Amino acid sequence: MKKRYLVVLLFLTQFTLAEVKNDSKAPLFTGIDSYGNKISLESLKGKNIILEWTNHECPFVAKHYKTGNMQSTQEFSASKGAIWITIISSAEGTQGYVSSEEANTLSSSRNAIPNHVILDEEGVIGKLYGAKTTPHMYIIDKKGFLKYQGAIDDAGGRGFMFKDLSDANNYVKSALSQLQEKIEISNKVTKPYGCSVKYKS
Amino acid sequence: MHFFKNISLNSYILVVFLITWSLEGSAEDYFQDSDSSVQIISESYKANENEILLIGFKFILEPGWHTYWANPGDAGEGATVIWNLPNNVSASNILWPGPEAIPVEPLMTFGYEDEAIILSELSIDKGAIFPIKLEATVGWYTCKEICVPQQANIKTTIFKGERVNSIYKDEILRAQSNLPIPLKTQHRVKVFENSFILQFEVNNDAKIDDIYFFPEKYGLINYSQTQKSEINKSSISLEIPKAELSLQNNKFKGVLQITEDSKKSFYSIDYPLENSTANIETLSLGTALLFAFLGGLILNIMPCVFPILSIKILSFVEQSRGSSKELIKHGVAFSVGVLLTFLTIAGVLISLKAGGEAIGWGFQLQYPLVVSLLAYLFVAIGSVLIGNLVIVNSFAQVGQFTSTFNNLTGSFLTGVLAVIVASPCTAPFMGSAIGIALIQPSFTSLLIFIGLGFGFAFPYLILSFNPKLMTFLPKPGKWMETFKEFMAFPMWLSALWLIWVLSSQIESQSLILVILGCILVGLSVWMLDKTQEAKAINRFALYFISIILVILSIYLLPTSYGKEKSEIKEFSLSTLEELREAEETILVNFTADWCITCKVNEAVVLSSNNFKKILIEGNIHYLLADWTRKDEEIANTLERYGRTGVPLYLLFFGKEDAIILPELLTEEILLTYLNKKE
Repeated sequence: MKKRYLVVLLFLTQFTLAEVKNDSKAPLFTGIDSYGNKISLESLKGKNIILEWTNHECPFVAKHYKTGNMQSTQEFSASKGAIWITIISSAEGTQGYVSSEEANTLSSSRNAIPNHVILDEEGVIGKLYGAKTTPHMYIIDKKGFLKYQGAIDDAGGRGFMFKDLSDANNYVKSALSQLQEKIEISNKVTKPYGCSVKYKS
Repeated sequence: MHFFKNISLNSYILVVFLITWSLEGSAEDYFQDSDSSVQIISESYKANENEILLIGFKFILEPGWHTYWANPGDAGEGATVIWNLPNNVSASNILWPGPEAIPVEPLMTFGYEDEAIILSELSIDKGAIFPIKLEATVGWYTCKEICVPQQANIKTTIFKGERVNSIYKDEILRAQSNLPIPLKTQHRVKVFENSFILQFEVNNDAKIDDIYFFPEKYGLINYSQTQKSEINKSSISLEIPKAELSLQNNKFKGVLQITEDSKKSFYSIDYPLENSTANIETLSLGTALLFAFLGGLILNIMPCVFPILSIKILSFVEQSRGSSKELIKHGVAFSVGVLLTFLTIAGVLISLKAGGEAIGWGFQLQYPLVVSLLAYLFVAIGSVLIGNLVIVNSFAQVGQFTSTFNNLTGSFLTGVLAVIVASPCTAPFMGSAIGIALIQPSFTSLLIFIGLGFGFAFPYLILSFNPKLMTFLPKPGKWMETFKEFMAFPMWLSALWLIWVLSSQIESQSLILVILGCILVGLSVWMLDKTQEAKAINRFALYFISIILVILSIYLLPTSYGKEKSEIKEFSLSTLEELREAEETILVNFTADWCITCKVNEAVVLSSNNFKKILIEGNIHYLLADWTRKDEEIANTLERYGRTGVPLYLLFFGKEDAIILPELLTEEILLTYLNKKE
């Protein structure tokens, strides 16, 4: 009897991906970044925040970094004074899982400039936000409300591997600009595209 | 190398040609990338002009690996084909055979495991030059836990001649048989708060093992949650959880997989969705306020409001010769009356909503008592307008529309009255506008109601602040009296409309009583009118009689919905038999809380106002057999009609055998069966 109860509990924790509605309070989280610092969403209040789910071995992510598209989005975000948090929810032993040192090497070798890289190998933050793909992007405003979630740009869908990303409409950049100009974000929810997040099973 | 040198170029080409021709395709038609391969295949390698050939792209993946469908689900991406074709040859978009659901916990993806053939129709038009070289660049992903991008450039050749089935013909036909075809049987999709329910009819006793819906687009359904199916005798219901982050989808579009006797077939579904409230929600507050203001403005010309307000304008005309300060005071008093009444109504609506009541504007029209009282009021106003009644009583200044009043309370009360008589009229015209207000937070709703009231009062405010505008209105005179009398008719027409509303709520005897009440109210106003010229003693008698008449008309008001017969009765075999013996018409609804088919039928038909009307008009006894908890009597009855579960809808015309109604119930179906009685 007890065992069955346990199975049910496991089932619940394992398979539920929360989904967060836009314009609602972004779920609070605390994580350890690749330099061992404790990063909490609460403490970053007052700044716009970008969350980027990543897995460097995923071909979709690889293309965004190889073409410099992700880095240019990071630079854009930095120029707007936003905080960029890269989150890796790959479980240990799965694709994209890295140690802190590897994460830092990856950033420097790819000229990536996230403010923090959080290692979320238990998938807690990923499931809290309902992160499905790599990449999967979220924007949280200065007051802690979720303002955008979805793809980095409109290059997703069939034929992605043949597309030139410089032609794509970058949803994150435009949402950030609109957020700053205090006008309505034109695309608040888009379909995220990429590899599945390699959650702990 | 030496070998090739020794052969002339011509014979080399010939050899290659022969090999190509005999092997059907060439080495160029196949490409092995790191983790999977693709091959371009054709049903025939010979064709003529004006023909269509089915071309396939055959992917072979490592065992246990998969590639994606057109909609990959939560992650991944379907294959892409970029054609390079000669003139007068064209290829259709990719035709995707039905996919499999491939869970990647906690996510869900849609695709093909181990092997897949996707198709394209090649049109060879007039003027195409043979042999036709088909060249395609194909990009796809092959995935297990990880995804690997793959790419290939493959070619094949089509020669001129009569078709000859290639060795790939069978494979291509198999893939073709898995292409979705439009679902032809009766089906419908009903939207609930957290799910869609898709219902469709199947042949009696079809051996359905499994059903699954693959959506075409993101943002319609939740991919990873379980789809719950319910297989009935001749229909199937599938409950599909909605996407939590639903995007604007005005269609329920995708592919339905039905597994029958362990054979899968695929059907395309494209069903329009009725309520896209998402659109309304995105209205900004500014726009909503503007609409509310305009709505209020338009209210002024509604048939039930116009008479009262036109009289109000007449009084302005009269007063415009007086002090302009007075005029402003009256305009403001009137507007305050309007706004306060709107706010009161808003307050009532909001508090009812907070109490969990599902209501909208016009909710008051759901109560026969309110509708009847409004009808009385309209008749009374009409009678006052057509007569010469001048009510001197200070409270009843409300009813005073002649140009003589100059009291601010009168202006205020006219505002109140205007909103009250406007309330039934707004229902058909402004339901949606107020619908928006009610889904907003309370504060926003209040603002929207203020916007409405302001729009309503706006013309009078303008007139009272700018009396000069009144010079555009005709000069006061005898015509005003005639106009006022004429305005009785739109009032009475509005009363007639209310009577029509009532006719669907109460039975005909009660309706006749309400109409009698209306006449008594009219009589009472007429008598009051006569008091003005009567002698003192007669005046007293007239007052007395008119009060009696009003009391009598109130007594005639309906107290409840319809007649008892329309009320739901609990099912029991003895009740049923009794009613059958009495040659009555009986509808029995076998239902249960957990039955999703029942849920849809209840939403579509069984809980609608029209259904109540059908019951009343057809004089039908409605018996409810609730099987939520096991009940032997119900189980036995179900069994008698060959059922092991709900829903079951039985229609009895007295002692005749029961008619089993279809499981996908609609009003039309119900009416068709009821008409068979004759």
